[in-house]
Amino acid sequence: MKQPPQSESPQDEVPEDYLSRELFDMVHVYIITKPELQNKLITVTALDKKLVGCPVCIEHKKYSRNALLFNLGMVCDAKTKTCSLEPLVKKLAGYLKTLELENGFVSNESSKQQLPKLMEVLLKEINESGKCTLPIDNSNTINLKVIEHRRTPATVQEYEVPVFTQCWDYDASQWDLTTQQILPCIDGFRHLRKISDEADVELNLVRIAVQNLLYYGVVAIVPIFQYSNVYCATPRLQLLAEDASLQDECLTYITKPGYRKATLRAAFLLYSSLSPGTTVRDLCCRHAPHLQHIDERKLVQFGLMKGFIRRLHKIPLKLPAEGRGKISRWFNGCHCYDEICCKKGLSYKELEEKTEHDPGIIIFWK
Amino acid sequence: MVCSVSVSKPLQTGPAGRRNRFAIVSGGEVEEQEGDCSESCLLTDEHLVSGFSDTILATILAPKSELCGKKFELKVDDVRFVGHATLLQHENSSQACKADPSPKREVPTMILFNVVFALRAHADPSLIGYVHTLSRRLALALRREEWRCQYLTREAKVMLAAQDEMGAHDGESPFQDVLPKSKLARDLKEIYDNLCSTGLVQLYINNWLEVSFCLPHKVHKVESGHVSPESISRSLRNIRPYHALLLLGECKSLLSELPPDVSPALSRLIKITTPMKTLQQLALDSDLALAQVCQLASHLVYWGKANIIFPLCESNVYMLSSTADTYVYSANAENFSQQFPGHDLPSMLAEFSLPTPLVEHRNPLANPDQQAQLVHMVVWLLQRRLLIQLHTYVCLMVPDADESDATSGTVCRPPVFLECGLSTQEARATSVPNTLPVGSPSSGDDLTLASPVTEVTSAEASSAEFGLGGEDSPVGAGAYENPLSVLTEHERRCILAVPAAQNQDDLRLFTRLLPYFCGRQHLEDVMYHENVRRSQLLTLLDKFRGVLAIRTHEDPALPALHCLPS
Repeated sequence: MKQPPQSESPQDEVPEDYLSRELFDMVHVYIITKPELQNKLITVTALDKKLVGCPVCIEHKKYSRNALLFNLGMVCDAKTKTCSLEPLVKKLAGYLKTLELENGFVSNESSKQQLPKLMEVLLKEINESGKCTLPIDNSNTINLKVIEHRRTPATVQEYEVPVFTQCWDYDASQWDLTTQQILPCIDGFRHLRKISDEADVELNLVRIAVQNLLYYGVVAIVPIFQYSNVYCATPRLQLLAEDASLQDECLTYITKPGYRKATLRAAFLLYSSLSPGTTVRDLCCRHAPHLQHIDERKLVQFGLMKGFIRRLHKIPLKLPAEGRGKISRWFNGCHCYDEICCKKGLSYKELEEKTEHDPGIIIFWK
Repeated sequence: MVCSVSVSKPLQTGPAGRRNRFAIVSGGEVEEQEGDCSESCLLTDEHLVSGFSDTILATILAPKSELCGKKFELKVDDVRFVGHATLLQHENSSQACKADPSPKREVPTMILFNVVFALRAHADPSLIGYVHTLSRRLALALRREEWRCQYLTREAKVMLAAQDEMGAHDGESPFQDVLPKSKLARDLKEIYDNLCSTGLVQLYINNWLEVSFCLPHKVHKVESGHVSPESISRSLRNIRPYHALLLLGECKSLLSELPPDVSPALSRLIKITTPMKTLQQLALDSDLALAQVCQLASHLVYWGKANIIFPLCESNVYMLSSTADTYVYSANAENFSQQFPGHDLPSMLAEFSLPTPLVEHRNPLANPDQQAQLVHMVVWLLQRRLLIQLHTYVCLMVPDADESDATSGTVCRPPVFLECGLSTQEARATSVPNTLPVGSPSSGDDLTLASPVTEVTSAEASSAEFGLGGEDSPVGAGAYENPLSVLTEHERRCILAVPAAQNQDDLRLFTRLLPYFCGRQHLEDVMYHENVRRSQLLTLLDKFRGVLAIRTHEDPALPALHCLPS
């Protein structure tokens, strides 16, 4: 906590003297700043430390120098990723500014004494649990939480399937109403359109709810399962050969309930046999013995979730007649069978008939 | 991205109370990295940066001297400033001034400078490191020139003069006026423009000191995706003598882009390189050491001029890449039709949907020209990362101990070998066969894809040559004597139970190749190190398929060949 400028040193520090005088001298211009930089989140790195702060300036005649400038900042290790702390710092700055405007919390000599105590609580609780409740006085409490910054996931298509990443013991009441309604429909086989129909929730709402779950890693997205699907192995299959706990997880997941546990060799052979040109149906025919005690749907699902296999999509393209003729809306080489079937309401067979009988259509698998 | 130089003079000079500062800001677009563009598209980059006045920029971008000489990183809301502040005080400079009383040599007053780049706050962290490197290189060059002939001071004077002139006309930016007058300003603009477009920076500070830099995020940009800097470094680490070099552009245009002082070895290499020849063969042909060829090849890959591939031959299996753009009127489609009249890209790509060896794409009735054209088309597709090559990997995986034993928990696992791979140094140090046993024997046709087959030298001799007892060898020296000793009792029994194990030759070969059956080395690797023919290997694998698991996929050791979706 710093105030300018006659005392060019931190007024309050928790823990005490954490910032060396040297460090403070180097960076004070970024902590108590010119008016132009007020209310901006400033992060500066120096001497193996990173400081995140948000300077606040309140102009009023009652202050000496007609203005009060202060900044409550956080000091971390230089290598820390501090973007998740930024909303916290901003919120604190906002709160302190309001408290000061309302009852002079920051400038008042007596209430100022509370600050080191509050900062101690803040430091301890944020470090321990990532959240903190700061009671200021009878009517004011500040609640803070460090939110982990995650990557925004890609848009989920209506023909894609959400599957739980692990056996979640979730408390449904923690989720919003839409999510609560669709949760029972998520079984790793129903795609968004089907979930929307069965749960009676509008498609876009389902999409938003699923994307939210995806963001928090509760679900992963896999393609629709059909026996006509084609998959192929990826280099990640090597992990199955090396990681014993992964092997256990896999074999438990894919074994049909009531049957003896599948062997690693069987699982590996099945995954390796999935290749371009081989549908799941072909696999079932060729490896019937192995599949007596292995559920092929779960096999595929596990393989997709862990990245051992990937789906090869079938994409039709109708070559235009001479020159740059009109190109077909759906057969322009950008839409896979899944998407066309879903959006046009066709079954795989119906679409297949259309493309088989048209000599001008070529097929990609990728 | 905004490029700015801020210069700080000691407070004593200039009119009392007024700090003499100057900043050049050439505004423009900011790099769009993986960080989402959708959220902050309301604020253009010009807004983000013009929100800062020149004065405030000068204040925050000229740090205290203690912060000089290291990475300068400051984030203000949505803008991240990256630079390398550099002190100019040097003992010699003040002494040199005293020694040289010529009136032209003024006492330098500049104490520090900082070349700063402004990025979006959520830019890829690796980008920050690279930009900092560029800033540091520029700082070194500028400092040198300042000490040598006070280049910075002179340029700063010119810029200040221009600014003062424009000061009279308020509201107008002085920068347009500065550009024609100051070489440094033009250089900075060129750096900025190049970084935003090609990612390649190559210029001469003060027409004297060269600064060159390459931003991998831009240099390795592919039409339908991107290649991460880590993929490039990983591929470079995994170069092997049996790899080939694929130039990503025309040989002539590449040669013309090279700077005048380029090493003649590099030009020689570029002239003779072909995707059909291994680096080893190139070394022999160009009379250069293999190590040097590998280094030059790495250099070309780093600068985005080439890629490392497995040499083209008939037995290679290629497949359509999952990130290839199959839109009927993609940019690639247009180029393809121009390059290969009479053929269209979609049909060609569709042919590769099902992976088959290259030899099967050939039309046996076609004339030699058409055969050669197929090779050119494949090369064209590889250059644009539209195709991936599939390799076969083998894993030892014996059946379960007891079929009825469900709960024993004895999950079979392949024997745990050390990392299977010989380093480039090792392969270089040992003598290697003259040619590689890759591909099928040449059938005398004009495809000229296959390399001739060598005689298979004795197994022990060649293995010893490769130093299998070395640090990186798959098994320790002792185990080499009997690789079967690293296996469990059960595994040994299963292998010996295979009918083919009765044949001593087969068993010997299997035992010799056992260290490679850990799933980390593809067949071509095995063929190279162990000097076995593909047909031999495939037969052996077939005989012992009861204890092996075989799979096919792209080579994870060369991630630069595959791009991630954008």
